[in-house]
Amino acid sequence: MGWAAFFGIWAFVSAVILDEFTLPGPLKVWNEILEIVRGGSWADDFLISISKTFMGFMIALIVGVPVGYMMGRAGYWKAFFHDGVVGAGSIPGIVYAIIALVIFGIGFQGPILAVGLISMPFIALNVAEGLEGVDRDLLSMSTAFGRSDRQALRHILIPSIMPFAFAGVRLSFAIAWKVEALTEVFGSSNGVGFQIRFAFQGFSIAGVLAWTLMFIALLLLIERGLAIVERWLFRWRTWEQAA
Amino acid sequence: MSAATMSRQPGFANSSIGRALRSSWGARVTSYFAFVVAWQIVGASFFRVPTPWETLDFIWREVSGGDHGGVRPGQFWEHFSATVPRFAIGISVAFVIGVVVGLLIGSFSFVRALLSDVLLVFLALPAIIWAFLTVMWFGLGWEAPVYTVILSAAPFVAVNVAQGVRAVSPELRRMSDAFGVPRNRRIRSMLLPAITGYLFTGLRFAVIIGWNAVLLAEWFGAVDGVGWRARLWYDAARYKGFVGWAIIFIVFIFLLDGLVLSPLQRRAFRWRASPSSDLKAEVGAVDTESFTNTAIGL
Repeated sequence: MGWAAFFGIWAFVSAVILDEFTLPGPLKVWNEILEIVRGGSWADDFLISISKTFMGFMIALIVGVPVGYMMGRAGYWKAFFHDGVVGAGSIPGIVYAIIALVIFGIGFQGPILAVGLISMPFIALNVAEGLEGVDRDLLSMSTAFGRSDRQALRHILIPSIMPFAFAGVRLSFAIAWKVEALTEVFGSSNGVGFQIRFAFQGFSIAGVLAWTLMFIALLLLIERGLAIVERWLFRWRTWEQAA
Repeated sequence: MSAATMSRQPGFANSSIGRALRSSWGARVTSYFAFVVAWQIVGASFFRVPTPWETLDFIWREVSGGDHGGVRPGQFWEHFSATVPRFAIGISVAFVIGVVVGLLIGSFSFVRALLSDVLLVFLALPAIIWAFLTVMWFGLGWEAPVYTVILSAAPFVAVNVAQGVRAVSPELRRMSDAFGVPRNRRIRSMLLPAITGYLFTGLRFAVIIGWNAVLLAEWFGAVDGVGWRARLWYDAARYKGFVGWAIIFIVFIFLLDGLVLSPLQRRAFRWRASPSSDLKAEVGAVDTESFTNTAIGL
């Protein structure tokens, strides 16, 4: 019913309140989407954008997990990273796009950097939070039985951190996907953001809406997908949640 | 060697400077210093990136009205005073609309069923889309920035208010039904305390999202304002102006958040026995469940 309401309201606003030119109705945008799909290159654009996003996440994980680890383990590092990690949440997305543009110009690295910068604090915060919940008894037991620090890291700390790191990725996905597209709008020669910009410059309202709808549909699909993968990957943790 | 003999030993680590550096205050100062050093290194290795000093110099010229190498005088206040009213009007309207829609969604399950997917799409729409659409609708001028702020910020207020309404405990509601508590007393003693915190979280979201929205809309569809000014420097390929403005954007939102919004939010929560002090509560933005869950599970 919700989706029927969405398209109903859209069709009503387009036909009655505004006009077909100002706000093209669902049918017109659907035809536009069909046109884009028939054009064939849409899959490439989405693939490019998605792979940039996931490369950005890899960088965010590589940097964010150690930062979160340090924040969770030592008061000094918690204070050191506090302002940066907490402040990053309120920095406007346009600033990330500017940073990416200034450093890399119109290259494929720009969006990767923007995604990395925006999702890193989420991952670090989650990991720091998760570490505080690590079973202290398990750690002291492993010391008592003469396990090395490396073994403790491999068998206790990393398994406890990973679910939180993954949750950080999932939580920041929506915002990262938006910033990725924004960076492509500002400077790129391919990807979804570039196509939206291209439609804008051609003054095609239907084109902008068509690309946007596809963009949102993919956002929601991947979000759900990540939630499912997360539940599957960390299904061994269910006893913990049940307790 | 015991701790007592350690502390008697002379040495840098135990001097007062060493202790100050290891305090949490010292850690923060060190982090800012490290940031500037890192920026300096990046500035030296990428030719387009200006150094911290160049950027600071630019910001000073722009704010004080000094000239930029004889070309254009600094025009900070002119553009800042064009942007702030757009931002303020947009946020106010977005807040009112968001509160009304949020109250409706939270109170009536019919409205919730009707609007939850609409809201989901609005939440997922990036501000840049609204900027493009409003520029195509209204052309260049003040309308595009104002409407972009309203359209991108209002959904976040609505979601938070709706969650606040639904956070009113059903027991309290049923009890006040049973005892025939009058409507205005219910609003004052039951609904308001429950939603105050959510209102401020919503406002904070609106301000952060609205600031980004006004900058984007001015970038693509205005003839003055701070977003337009930043674009001017970008188009002129003067990257220190571009980066200088990015720094101004950050400083503005940090000041607004730190000096106005966070104290307000703390005030709204002062009746609570123990304010939560953990890292995540401070960020707020991270403290939401998964994106779709937030929107669907209104």
